[in-house]
Amino acid sequence: MRQAIRALGWAIYILWLVIIVFTVTAVYSAFQLGLDFDDLQTSTSEGTVTLLLPFSLENNGFYDIYDLNITTILKESNGALVSNSSTVVPLISSGNKINATHNISISLENMTSAGLSRLLFYDTDLDMEMSFALRYAGVIPLKIGRNFTMPWGAPLGNLTIGDVAVNPYNSTHVRAILPFSFENHSFFSLNGAVRTEIINTLDQQVGGTTTLINVPPQSGYSTQFMVLVSVSGSGFKEARLYFDTSVFSYGPVVMPIG
Amino acid sequence: MAVVKGLLWFVFLYVVPMFIVSSLSEFAPEIFSSYGNLLLVFVAIILFFVVASELTSGTIFQHAFNIGKALILMIFIVVALEGGIVALDFQGFHLVADLRIYLAMLLTIDLVGLAKSVLQAINFLSEKTESQLSTLSPQ
Repeated sequence: MRQAIRALGWAIYILWLVIIVFTVTAVYSAFQLGLDFDDLQTSTSEGTVTLLLPFSLENNGFYDIYDLNITTILKESNGALVSNSSTVVPLISSGNKINATHNISISLENMTSAGLSRLLFYDTDLDMEMSFALRYAGVIPLKIGRNFTMPWGAPLGNLTIGDVAVNPYNSTHVRAILPFSFENHSFFSLNGAVRTEIINTLDQQVGGTTTLINVPPQSGYSTQFMVLVSVSGSGFKEARLYFDTSVFSYGPVVMPIG
Repeated sequence: MAVVKGLLWFVFLYVVPMFIVSSLSEFAPEIFSSYGNLLLVFVAIILFFVVASELTSGTIFQHAFNIGKALILMIFIVVALEGGIVALDFQGFHLVADLRIYLAMLLTIDLVGLAKSVLQAINFLSEKTESQLSTLSPQ
């Protein structure tokens, strides 16, 4: 029995040694990680705006890092989901450095069809939850997260149609002039066309026009729509706007006109 | 002897670790400052059982205290590591660490320590019985 007790005593010493060495080296290694972010970039394609966040992680510790998962969730202040993006790096070996890019994709096409169309017209603050999850040394899962606020600039901010001016054109048509303006508060350019339909008080379309637009980020756009309108004897009720841009298609936006 | 052992354990388990914790607290006070109290409780448990075990040395109570120490340390470790899922908030960050494997390693050590203490108690009783039998046996 004495041998068994002695063996257990040795086992305890060895296990404590393993735990202490592991703890000390793991804490030391954690302080040897270097995480760097480069400047945020943007790109647009096929109805999706992508925020590109290049980063590098240098693992100078003793242990490998497995399953690094960077997740970004963008939500409106009322909790509506705007975007959920993840980037996974399967392995960062000890002594290695990885360069990767975390893509935060915002689908404006989905946004317009998911009850988030107000984001096209109104600036707001989006809640951003960013988290890093990883398995450290293969045995310790860690998750670190932080909440941010991200300002959202509406691509069609302050959309307005001014007072309609009507000039005679010929016996069957008049020329309606509609002052039209908006401000692109977003971080992407708006290239495409705006189709306008004029509706009379009898709910009939009496005229329409299409105008090409090219509005850089953070800039305003102002023009006058010249629309030939057939003389129907009734007044104008509303203008219906259809936006067809490289980033999203949306319409009709109904604007009352007098 | 009990006082000397108690002092040595106090220096080894409290003074040195507190120096390390205090140094680390300068970098991230939100994380490390809260561990001072846990360390104090841990040291109090260890010192109590070391002194008690030393004072009752040579009796069955020494082994009883060793068994008690192993059991109480197991409970303390589970409570201190919050069941293995540790959540911390510091400088706006929320950190969750899954330390269940680490917890299992610590509990394994304590279980081995418990087994050792039980064997020591059995060994103590058997040796005592044998010595009593030898004194009763005919010359």
